[in-house]
Amino acid sequence: MPVRYAYHPGNVAHSSAPEVDETMRAACRSLDVDLIDMPGATSCGAGILGQANRRLQITLNARTMSMAEDLGLDIITPCATTAATLHEDLEMMKSDPSLMGEVNKTLQKTTGRSLEGSIKIRHFLHVIVEDLGLDNFLKKVKNPISSRLGPYYGPNLQQEGLVGGDDIFDPWYMESIIESSGGTPIRYTSRTSSAGTPGIFSEENTVLRQSATILSDAKSMGAQMIISACTLSHGVLDIYQGKASRSTGLNTNIPVIHFCEYIAFLTGNFPTRLAMLKTRVAVIGD
Amino acid sequence: MVITMSSELPLLILYGSQSGNAEDLCTKAAKEAKSHGLEPIVKGMDEIKISDLSSYNRVLIYCSTWGEGEMPDNAEDLWQQAQGDSLPSLTTCHFAVCSLGDSSYDLFCQSGKDWDQWFEKQGANRLVTRVDCDVDYDKPAALFTSEALSHLSVVDSSGAYDPSKIGEVRSVPETPDEKAIETDQNKDKIAVGGGLEDLLGTGDRTLNIFFGSQSGNSEQLASNFAKRAENYGLKGIVHDMDGFDINAMASMKRVAIICSTWGEGEMPDNAEALWLAASSGSAPKMDGVSFSVLALGDTSYELFCQSGKDWDNKLEELGARRVAARVDCDVDYEAVASEWASEALTMLSAVDDSGNLHEELIDSIRDMADGGAVVADGEDGFSIPDLHGEEVEIQLGVFRYDPHEKTSGLDTWLCSLPGHMTLLEALRSIQRTHDGSLCFTDGAPHDPNTAISVNGRITLPGITRIEQLSNGRPGSIVMKIEPLPGYDVVRDLCVDFSALTKKRQEASVWHVSKTREALRTDQGTLIGPMSAVEATKLHAMSNRFGSQILHSCSDSVAYANSYLGPSVCLDLWIKKSDSRTSDKKIKQIDKILSGPDAILAETDLAPMARQPLAGRGVQNALSEARTSALESNGYNGRHGKHVWWYAWTLKSSGRVNDTVLYRQVLGPLGLLSNLTSGVTARMLTGFTRTGGKMVNDILGLVVPPAGIGKMPKQFNKRVDKHYEVVSIFNTLDRRF
Repeated sequence: MPVRYAYHPGNVAHSSAPEVDETMRAACRSLDVDLIDMPGATSCGAGILGQANRRLQITLNARTMSMAEDLGLDIITPCATTAATLHEDLEMMKSDPSLMGEVNKTLQKTTGRSLEGSIKIRHFLHVIVEDLGLDNFLKKVKNPISSRLGPYYGPNLQQEGLVGGDDIFDPWYMESIIESSGGTPIRYTSRTSSAGTPGIFSEENTVLRQSATILSDAKSMGAQMIISACTLSHGVLDIYQGKASRSTGLNTNIPVIHFCEYIAFLTGNFPTRLAMLKTRVAVIGD
Repeated sequence: MVITMSSELPLLILYGSQSGNAEDLCTKAAKEAKSHGLEPIVKGMDEIKISDLSSYNRVLIYCSTWGEGEMPDNAEDLWQQAQGDSLPSLTTCHFAVCSLGDSSYDLFCQSGKDWDQWFEKQGANRLVTRVDCDVDYDKPAALFTSEALSHLSVVDSSGAYDPSKIGEVRSVPETPDEKAIETDQNKDKIAVGGGLEDLLGTGDRTLNIFFGSQSGNSEQLASNFAKRAENYGLKGIVHDMDGFDINAMASMKRVAIICSTWGEGEMPDNAEALWLAASSGSAPKMDGVSFSVLALGDTSYELFCQSGKDWDNKLEELGARRVAARVDCDVDYEAVASEWASEALTMLSAVDDSGNLHEELIDSIRDMADGGAVVADGEDGFSIPDLHGEEVEIQLGVFRYDPHEKTSGLDTWLCSLPGHMTLLEALRSIQRTHDGSLCFTDGAPHDPNTAISVNGRITLPGITRIEQLSNGRPGSIVMKIEPLPGYDVVRDLCVDFSALTKKRQEASVWHVSKTREALRTDQGTLIGPMSAVEATKLHAMSNRFGSQILHSCSDSVAYANSYLGPSVCLDLWIKKSDSRTSDKKIKQIDKILSGPDAILAETDLAPMARQPLAGRGVQNALSEARTSALESNGYNGRHGKHVWWYAWTLKSSGRVNDTVLYRQVLGPLGLLSNLTSGVTARMLTGFTRTGGKMVNDILGLVVPPAGIGKMPKQFNKRVDKHYEVVSIFNTLDRRF
């Protein structure tokens, strides 16, 4: 019996990170998870829109969440930022009835919608560990990956109320998946630290130092590849790693893939890409 | 199982013992039984008649086997009675048997087996399968005891057994009678608590520790134990035996002697003179002295620990009272010496100013030294919940930095610690017993200067218990303890806060009031009015642990030297939000806050939201400060443009368009920089990516209309019912 969720792909899966959406859909097919699209859902604002107008961000997200409520489903997303932003806005409204009332007033006026706050926001990682269960997940693993893998969570996902049974500062959910799927999880302190992604445009030097520390930390602990549960940080850790290395002098050369890609590969999808990735790990690894 | 209030149920614990092992196990079981809400009644088998058994609903038996399957001496008579004709019915009795024996004999554990079968034959209900212990009985017997007590504790007063209640937390007395028992007990505990306070708080609490040392080991131990004495309410003073007057020792209340042996049973050099004085005919009487001796030696010598033995005998001979037995240590002495210290310090602490030994306070002293509180003061008999935690396996990694050698690294200890122990206690313990050079800031539990980072969590170690850090992770707890991030490390876990002080000075966070209306109070004084809403908001923003802690809660601080940090920014924002602040000061604050080194230099607020010592409130306040700064700057600069164009693209299609963001925020020079730095190439070629439509990215950057400032709609399909999005924007914010 498939489990069903209302699907929010995150902020950049439609544009600069199409592999996230592509592999999320493939992985969920393999895991008997039904993704119900919400074609009217907007970007969550990623905390950026909130810097201009917090109420605006909350109201737009209330609109998206009301769509999931109409479907009677919780929201699933592969994007840590989206999970955190929707969760934070939802909890803020639930804890402040007057805010909820005002938001609903605006929603009613502009869209005819309203939000009760009955849904939950789930990241794909938590769905696998808590909803599907590791045992069930393992039955679907077809291509175990035996490399030394460094999980990266980032600070957005590791928030009270969002992490479920995982530890905010010393998480073990991704490590459990890696270990049970044949890999060796690398435990490094900065795996929950910020890569500085929201400041990549304006505070690039600081962000390069932050991301270089994470990359070199994972690498120095023996990781051959990083698995990122955060789509936006995945982009920075991947695309900017050469620049980060030149800026800091740290050794940052390491493949970074998204958690969805990892799960898709494990469940037997995109075998050619997996082969290319393994080759890359073998060639680039120090 | 945790039972916070006791409602005692009688439990008969019987022992048949030849060498004393079964009796010892009974004593331990009796202690443990109390924590299960049971009232233990310990009896030897020679202290009871067979007919008495019918009056007990719960019976726990420990019985050893003697010779060829024979009952131990003290069980013989009872067993003879058990073979008689008129035996009691035990149908309401529930029992469990632990049998002790030696598997090298043919009839292994026969006596226990006999009792087990006999109870069953009389109709009693066996709650736990009998366990037969060999000569290494400690562990299996302990496991048996725990399990048996769990089951016996759910036999109610009518003899009914309800296994579903095993593990339940009983927090409310079940009957008025039980409540009465509980109240009486609390009275007793309070009396004990008061006695301990009296003992610790009055008179001379000096513990004199003498060392006789040849190689320095005894001296080192004396120094360590003097520090530990504080935990027992004692003031440890270390004395070199060399040059000490034996008459002065006679006037002391508490004496601990740590003495090594040299050569063939000789005193170490520094103890020679004092020993001669103590052995002379003119040595004083020591009637008022309580003492204990730790002897160091080497078993490869014939007269092992002779010096310590001599001191032990001599003090007794002079009339002193031995309160804890001498312990003789071989070359691996640390662990044994530590155990002796625990016992000796406990016993010596129980000696009052008049030299009386208060045996009734010994358990309370142990609890105090272990960090556990027994009972709170107060007339209402309020009891502090049992905070004792299970032992937990820990891999403790502590950051070390030596400024002289300029070396750093991680020292790791594998240890088993009680879950209720605080991190600060664990650090003190390491410093005391393993590495005296470990540097950390000690202080009161809520002192922000003591803060450290544990696996990235900014923590006050004095209020953080070890068991709080396990959080469901399978296996042992792995802790990486590091100094507070964002500061220069002085040594190990100690940091220098002066960088923050300097930033606070630069930002001039001090309050400058404006002249304003005042109200006269009933007392005639003038006060400035403030609305309840504003006061509550200001208090909420100000309600946090120390500035130095908040400064460390940002992940950016350590990487941006000129950034003032969240602590300074929050203080500025609070001042700006305070209606009492002068207009001139607000202008100054605005200038700093909207500058490049204030809140706009923070790359990510999420790390602060998750830190327990900062939290969502801090994040929200700083977010408001950032919005204010962006508005002051008119959404100019890269940060402002990022926010502005993000909102603009979202309104345009419901989705963010990162192509537009890159182009608008970075501008031609930024894009060129990315081209030359490899960022663009990496983005376009998908160098590390495993798929993805690269053509979109290429088109987004180079093909009009992207290049002339219009949003490339070919990349951003509008969301369904996009007009709703526009309507929300237009209702709440028409700027975009």
